[in-house]
Amino acid sequence: MRTEEVDVAVIGGGPAGLAAAVAARKAGAQNVVLIERGEQLGGILNQCIHDGFGTKNMGKALTGPEYAQIYIDQASAAGVTCHLNTMVLNLTPERELTLCSKEGVRHVRAKSVVLTMGCRERTRGAIGIPGYRPAGVFTAGVVQYYMNIRNLSVGRRVVVLGSGDVGLIMARRLTLEGAQVPCVAEILPYPSGLMRNVVQCLEDFGIPLYLSTTVIEIHGRDRITGVTLAKIGPRGGVVPGSQRLVECDTLMLSVGLIAENELAKKAGVALSPITGGPIVDDHFQTSVPGIFSAGNALQVHDLVDYVSLESEKAGLSAAKYADAGKLRVANIKVTPGRGIRYVVPQYIGGDESVDFSMRVEAPDLDRSVVFRSGSQTVRKMKENVVAPSSMIRFRVRSERFQKIGSELTVELEA
Amino acid sequence: MKGQFTCVVCPTSCVVHAEWNETELQSTDHAQCKLACDYVRGEIFDPRRTVTSTVRVDDGDLPLVSVKTDPPVPKATMFEVMQHLAHVVVKAPVNIGDIIVANVLGTGSNIVATKKIVLKV
Repeated sequence: MRTEEVDVAVIGGGPAGLAAAVAARKAGAQNVVLIERGEQLGGILNQCIHDGFGTKNMGKALTGPEYAQIYIDQASAAGVTCHLNTMVLNLTPERELTLCSKEGVRHVRAKSVVLTMGCRERTRGAIGIPGYRPAGVFTAGVVQYYMNIRNLSVGRRVVVLGSGDVGLIMARRLTLEGAQVPCVAEILPYPSGLMRNVVQCLEDFGIPLYLSTTVIEIHGRDRITGVTLAKIGPRGGVVPGSQRLVECDTLMLSVGLIAENELAKKAGVALSPITGGPIVDDHFQTSVPGIFSAGNALQVHDLVDYVSLESEKAGLSAAKYADAGKLRVANIKVTPGRGIRYVVPQYIGGDESVDFSMRVEAPDLDRSVVFRSGSQTVRKMKENVVAPSSMIRFRVRSERFQKIGSELTVELEA
Repeated sequence: MKGQFTCVVCPTSCVVHAEWNETELQSTDHAQCKLACDYVRGEIFDPRRTVTSTVRVDDGDLPLVSVKTDPPVPKATMFEVMQHLAHVVVKAPVNIGDIIVANVLGTGSNIVATKKIVLKV
């Protein structure tokens, strides 16, 4: 079988893959291929018809399809070769890809690879709600696809479990389309989605948000007829006497996203147990040389704007690797300290400025994020409001790394 | 009057403390940018929202095209706008920026397509 040789292969044609492929072409890579499993480019943005995309990197609020089209046009103008309806079945550490499409199976050998497969939703199975398995239990992204792309209604009375952003946005969408949303239940004592979505999707429509509350039972044999909600105490158990039945014909789950990394695993890429994505350096290179990662496959984002910026950097690095066959090593380890759940990248070179992304462990007010190396404070940044739902991002300039050792820690301070 | 508003303009979601009278916004605190102040003024005197939805398409590669109100419509008219859109059908092809309904319900806002829909092959 013939093996095609390319400079940069980008896996996944969503916002991350588009930005990476465009950046790789602009950086001079000749032959850049973008491989997409679905029938169109743009990924999940195509079904995100709400607005608010682009406020950070374009200075205006666009809808998902509008934001995607800008990058699709750029990819076409930049001369990126796009393969639609094509699934990557395998990736080796030597960067050989096995592709499958209607035309059959073929092989591609790439000088560098960017992994931008995005993420998928956690399902009922992942959170283990007892009860029968009636019809009418959907994840929020599936409801979004049915309603916004396929013109299909999912139900008339929809209880929402989980307060992730897609769940909040779909609670509003269902309400506007005439369905009833009696409540959103969130097991944590604070919302999982952004505050702006709690305000404009729930408060605007009078939809109650029950915190520290979850679904403990699903009722119905053929179709769901209702759920039992219960309060969850501080130690995780059901608060006695707090159970109540809410009738519904649909349960919509918005209970988290999982970075999709089956191909990364096949290539032997080391993954972080916290982000679920590859461990990367400040060039977004993974533990396998020449394989890069960005977007939701690397870490689940709340804003597409940062997906684009991160992926541009990954695409640029991939083009450099394709040209030179190597990149400089990054062996300064960055570890999360008190109050910080994770930080990306996990390794830096110390010779270039770095845009760090991180999430905190719990909501808080008036904190400082502090980068330290030994007893030395490298960078300190004040944050008025911190929450696990809002990724914190900021740049540390290369001058600041001049005198640091081989370790950097990030902590939250009063 | 006094009140607190969570700005929805960007993800920072500033919680703005505001004071106002019948005609103007007198003071704001905790807003990180001017947009948040404008948002609060709007919320007090003329709350508006961008409604995003879909309308049906004939002969398109997909059955729906996504749309938005441009500029935003008064918050109180959101459900009327949705009712109106339920009866609108357009023909493919559709391009981003095409006006689907001009001056919807006399609000001065247009319903504009936000997705490219090509003819079904």
